[in-house]
Parts: sequence; C-alpha cells; structure tokens
Amino acid sequence: MFRTALIFALASMALASAPVAFAQSDCKSVVKPSPFGPNDQTGATNRVTPAVTKAAAAEIQTGKVTNMSYPLVDGVPLFGSRFTKTVLTATSLAPGASFGDNQLTYMEDTWLSQSHVGTHLDGMGHIGIKDCYYNQTPMGKFINQNNMTKLGLENLKSFATRGVIIDMVKVYQDAGKLKTNTACKKACIDKGTVISVADLQAGLKMYNVTLREGDMVMIHTGWGDLFEQFPAQNALYNSGEPGIGKEAANWLAGQKVVAVGTDNWAVEVIPSENPKEAFPVHAILLTDNGIHIMENVRTDLIAAEAASSKRATFFVNMTVPKAVGLTGNFVAIDAIQ
Amino acid sequence: MKDAASGTRQLPHSRLVRSVILAVATGVAAGVAVPAGLERRYTIAFANANEEPGVSVEGTGFSGAEIRQSFVLAARTLPIDLVFYDNHRDDARAVANAEAAIARKVDLYVQYHHGSSANATVAQKLKAAGIPLLAVNEAVSGAPLYSLDNMAAGRIAGDTLGQFATRTWPGQPVAAVVIGRVSTNGDRVRGVTDGLRKRLPNARVSTLETQGNPSQVAPLLSPLLASQPTSKVLIAATDDATALAAKSAVDSAGRARDVAIVGHGVDRSIHGGANDRKELDPNNRASIVLGSVAFYLDRMGYDVLPIAMRMLRGENVPARTATSHKLITPANVFAEYPPYDMN
Repeated sequence: MFRTALIFALASMALASAPVAFAQSDCKSVVKPSPFGPNDQTGATNRVTPAVTKAAAAEIQTGKVTNMSYPLVDGVPLFGSRFTKTVLTATSLAPGASFGDNQLTYMEDTWLSQSHVGTHLDGMGHIGIKDCYYNQTPMGKFINQNNMTKLGLENLKSFATRGVIIDMVKVYQDAGKLKTNTACKKACIDKGTVISVADLQAGLKMYNVTLREGDMVMIHTGWGDLFEQFPAQNALYNSGEPGIGKEAANWLAGQKVVAVGTDNWAVEVIPSENPKEAFPVHAILLTDNGIHIMENVRTDLIAAEAASSKRATFFVNMTVPKAVGLTGNFVAIDAIQ
Repeated sequence: MKDAASGTRQLPHSRLVRSVILAVATGVAAGVAVPAGLERRYTIAFANANEEPGVSVEGTGFSGAEIRQSFVLAARTLPIDLVFYDNHRDDARAVANAEAAIARKVDLYVQYHHGSSANATVAQKLKAAGIPLLAVNEAVSGAPLYSLDNMAAGRIAGDTLGQFATRTWPGQPVAAVVIGRVSTNGDRVRGVTDGLRKRLPNARVSTLETQGNPSQVAPLLSPLLASQPTSKVLIAATDDATALAAKSAVDSAGRARDVAIVGHGVDRSIHGGANDRKELDPNNRASIVLGSVAFYLDRMGYDVLPIAMRMLRGENVPARTATSHKLITPANVFAEYPPYDMN
C-alpha cells in the first residue's frame, strides 16, 4: 500500500514538474522531412555546392559592388520590447591612460541587441509549428536558457551563390496595378498586397532570368523606403507589409532556392491572406523546406542597377557568423556584378 | 425564388452572370476547359453603415473603417474589384449610393444600413436593374442576410459567467448585472440572461445603462458593488471598453476577488499583439476579465465576400448566415488573433 502510494506520489511529482512549454509533439506528422537527410541541421545551404559557387562567380563581370544592407543603428524599426544599444568603451583616451612609451590607445563596444534586427537572416531555429522545427526536430529537447543545442547558425554552409533581384515595383508599375503608400518617398507597393507566383514570374521574365537550384532570391517591394526614413515611419513600416503569399512561397521552395529576402520585415504579406494564420510563409520556407528568410534587405540599389544594366543576377557576398545555438543574426550583403 | 425543400434562396441571375454561364457553357460545349484562374472578375459594391471617424458600430468598439478594411483584405484572394460607399446612417444617402452603383453597373450590391424604408427602396431599385443584393446586419426583403447573432453572443457570455460561478463559488450568493448600452442591445442582454439562468436558474440579473460611455461605468457600478457586500458579482459588459472600465471600478472598490467579467466584441482595446500587452493576453490568465465574445466585425469581409461570390456564380446561399461568435480568453486569443508584431 505504502509502495503504491509512493509510486503514485513520485509519478504525480514528475508530471507536475514537466514544463508545459516542452510538451512533445509527434513532429513527423507536423513538419516535412528534410530533403537533405534525417540528421541534417544545415538546410538549404547544402545546395551551395562548389559547382554552384563556381557558376555564381561568373556573375562577376564589371566588379561593381552594390550594398544590400541598411545601417545597423539605434532608432531603426523594431518591435515592442526589442532594442539595440551600443556602449563605447574609450577609457584609454583619458589623459594618462594610454599604454606604453608609444602611447597606444584602444576602444571597443558593448553591443546589446536581439539577433533579429536590421538586415538579418532567419536560421532554422527561428520558426516552428508547435515545438516542431526544421527536419522534424522536437525542439523542446534541444533548448536551454541560453541557446539551442541543435539547428544553430554554426551548422550553416556558405552563401557564396548567385543572387537574383526581382523588382516587384517595376512589375506592378508595368502592369498598371501599383497601389503605393503616400508615406513612401519612392514608389512602393502598399502593405497587404499579396505577391503571387505570376508576379514573381513576370519579374523574372523582365530580365530573362530562370531560377537555378541554390539561388538567393531578393524581392524589391519598395516598402524598405519606410525603413530608410527611420524613426519617422517606424510605426507604419511595422504595421504591415507587401509580400509573398503561400502560393508564391511554395513555388519558390519548389525552385530549390537557398534563401528569400525582401526590403520588409517578414518577407511575407502582412496581414496574412488568412487572418487566422500566423506567418505561414515563414513556416513553409524555414520549417518545412529549410530555406532561409532574409529581412530588412536593402533592395532598391540593386533593383536600380538591374534596371540600368538589364542584369538582375549577381554574386552574393555574405557570411553568417558561426554563432553557436543562435536562431538568426544580422548580416551584411553585397551584390557583386 | 425560394427552394422550399432546402430552405435556401435561389437568387435571380444578373445579365452578367447569365453571360458568364453562357460563355462557360459554350466553352464546355466546344470542349474547352475554363481554368479556375481565368474566372472573370466581378465588381462588388459595399455600402457601409457608417465610416465616420470615432463612431463605433453595432454597440461594439469596432469602427466602420475596420469593417471596410476587412473587405479590402478579404478581396485580395478573390476575383473581385470593390467599390465602396458610405451610407453614413442616412436613408437618403443609402438610396443615392445604390443609384450610383446601379449607374456603375456593379455585379452585386452589399447593403449595410439600419433603415427598413430605405433598404426596401434600395432593394426595389437593384431588383429593377437586375443586380443581386446581399444584406448585412439588417434583413431586406428578398435578399440573403449576413448578420451578427446577438442572442447567441449574449448566451455565450452568460453561460461563461454562470459556469465560472458554479465552479468557483458553489453555494454562495451571486448577483449578476449587464452593463453598457443595454437599451439598444436587447437581444444581447436577453442572451446573457438566458445563458446565466442555464447555470444559475435563480440568478437575479439587473441592468445598468451607460449609453456607451465608459466613464459612466464606475458611478453606476460602485453603488451596486457596495450594496452587495457579501455576494459574488457577475458582470456582462455589452462591449470591451465597458468591460475594461468595469474591471477598473472593481479594482478601485477592492472587490476583485468577488467579481468575474465578460465583454462583447474583442476589439483592439482588449486584445493586442505579442508585445503590446492588453487584458486578453496569454500571460494574463488570472484576470477577472474571463474573456470577451468575438463579433469579428474586423473580419466581416472574409465572411461576406464568399457568400457574394456564391451568389454571382448562381449557387444557392442560405437565407441567413450568422456570425460564429466565440468566447476569446487568454488561452485562445493568440490562436484566434495571431499577433504579427514579431519577425
């Protein structure tokens, strides 16, 4: 009797102490298996093979470099409690604080920030359905209070691949369907506009581009114009955005691209096509297909370059820190043509 | 035409719909399939009740602008071009709007106006022009209706409060009050009473009329709380602003342990996103505001436009389609209203 009661008490304690947040789902029924094998933690950068990089290098013809990143500085659009704050340490500049006969001085920074700010990349650990993440990973088993122990950025391979800019603003202008937002100083597509497969195909056709496996697709919506106006238009920028819908996300996944980036904060249309769904494009690209999402990408310069040179392809110069266990990080991107 | 067997209404086709059917039939006869993506686009007019800034509709915290925006968003994935009119709560304007839409040869007219005489005139003019009519929130003879179900919504609120009282305060004296715009929301109040009495057959239900002014809540509610020093008090608020004002009054009276509140509407004053914490939030599950009954006026377009599409395609539609009201609580608010203030 006592033994039974003890077992019952212990079992009750075990149940009571199981954190609800770590409840395990049957991830095989929730998330698609990875096309790169059951143990893969890398995702779509598996597609950036030496052959892909070599072919992408052929895009470098003039050597012209176009910036695709926004400044990372206090005051850019962020949500809610997110913040960035830099603190400069410059103590050795004080009189008498320099080092040695040669009077060497130094400075460094403390940088306090969430990782998903500014021009940044979403890693495999950013988005899941329930507790199921990329490659059917039951993420509850692989997190601690500091980071993830699986699917971190350290698992990514190179992004030395071909980039393709799709100028949606020009597509919409040419089709006579551009509904702009008056707050944009340059032409932009208004928030809530769903970018379709047909729109993407029209943008590719404009510069005679056919997507290849391992491409990084960048979509210019013009919405980034509001980012550039920070902090004046931060609230409007965050209130919604034009972006791809689910159909277009599935189509891009079928093209086996490595990443999709835009000059907005979520790549996908906000508000969503279905108001009861949360970030469905994120789940399609990241969770189901291991394809990275890149947000707040500066696309206007390369779009203008494409319009001028009639070349919408370029070599991507971008690296991601080997940040162990992180879900994403800010990046700097150059387009080299 | 009414289908007696099914109870549904078959609407007269407009000339344009007949043309489409003829074209499709011709295509089929010629062995040509008509891909879904090539369906023709329709022009639908939506005559909104009132888009005056700051004016709420249907005794809730929603504005006409939010309803209009729901049509814009819902139309994105449908072959629909929208034309908007504002009836401005004015009969003459409602009729003039319908005349303008007729002159514009729209394919279907969605009428949202509280005024039976003007609605009858609008229906007559549209019928003469061969334009189908879909009514919103007020029945129009001969037209299918999409509307709120205030009785059902009230029942959900009353049932929630009654269930909470029987579970939390068994055997203790309970007083119940409906507060807010009670005189213009009779069905909502009756629904609350029905729902409460299902759980608490002997519940005394009183009403407090604020005429929609939240600042009147405390002056009305505080004496009631003081008069019930030993009772538990269940409060059904007719809208969310009233529910929040009631919570504030209860807190001020030091009676939070004795009160449970349910609101109606689920507008943005009571629920927010991941960062702008509001009363209905997953991290606020101990609130005395148990929840609010969703009216989904900010999603009306998602319900109405598919009905309009079925009408335009010549399909049968129910004579009445009601909003599926649901209790929104801290436990389901993010599922029902996914926040998008994170990326």
